[in-house]
Amino acid sequence: MWYLAKMIRGMTIEQAIAQLEFNDKKGAAIIKEVLLEAQEMAVKSHNVEYKSNLYVAESFSGKGQYLKRIRIHGRGMFGIMDKVYCHYFVKLVEGVPPTEKPRTGFDQAKEYVQQLRNRTIIHSL
Amino acid sequence: VSYLLFMCAVVPALAVQGPGIFPQPHRNEETEEHSFLDSIFWMAAPKKRRTIEINRCRRRNPQKLIETKTNIEPCSECGNLKQKHVLCSFCYEKVRRETAIIRGQIQAQEGKPLNNPAVETVVLYEGEKPADADAGKRIVERKRPRPSWFTQY
Repeated sequence: MWYLAKMIRGMTIEQAIAQLEFNDKKGAAIIKEVLLEAQEMAVKSHNVEYKSNLYVAESFSGKGQYLKRIRIHGRGMFGIMDKVYCHYFVKLVEGVPPTEKPRTGFDQAKEYVQQLRNRTIIHSL
Repeated sequence: VSYLLFMCAVVPALAVQGPGIFPQPHRNEETEEHSFLDSIFWMAAPKKRRTIEINRCRRRNPQKLIETKTNIEPCSECGNLKQKHVLCSFCYEKVRRETAIIRGQIQAQEGKPLNNPAVETVVLYEGEKPADADAGKRIVERKRPRPSWFTQY
């Protein structure tokens, strides 16, 4: 579920729905349903004008309740099987998704040097 | 018969007699461990707990992330999304439903299984007459106008 949530982060809602439709994971169908419902809710009650003018700002999954069951192995051994549940959260924002500028090595080096320059000695004269 | 009995007595005589050969000392103790749990001393086991940082590096490296597909496009007939090398699922479903109904009608016409006539089948919709070419063929009637995708000729 986390992999799906990570995949659709930052995509437009149409792109996200297209990707989830052709993904074979069980969570893909669930997340697609959630996105469609969120889109509908946005248009109906959150004053969004165009339903495709949305993008996925935040998308993450959290651990839900785990039910424990016994899984019987050979030789009288047993294992504890977890029946796993998870929660999924998504936030849609109206507009065009923001493009992340790719940080080059030079930019990172510049930032590092700036951090070194910002260092001060506290409680000094 | 007496010769055979004599041969059996003589032939298996050993080359070395007496206490030259000792019986093999029979080891009663088993070399394998008795319980299953003792054998895990010789198995590979992790030395240290893998930290969450190391685990995250392994679980989130790009090889394990899902790749976005670039072969999705809208279907030219119905507008739903489809993969480039796959038939549109919506159009396929629509055709499948119609053929299921036609098959049901054929089944009703035949009655029992393996009862199909040795002629071709023609499906005719509302207001259509069998043409000259469909002279000896079996006719299946459907009470609806012809769908646009089911061309006649």
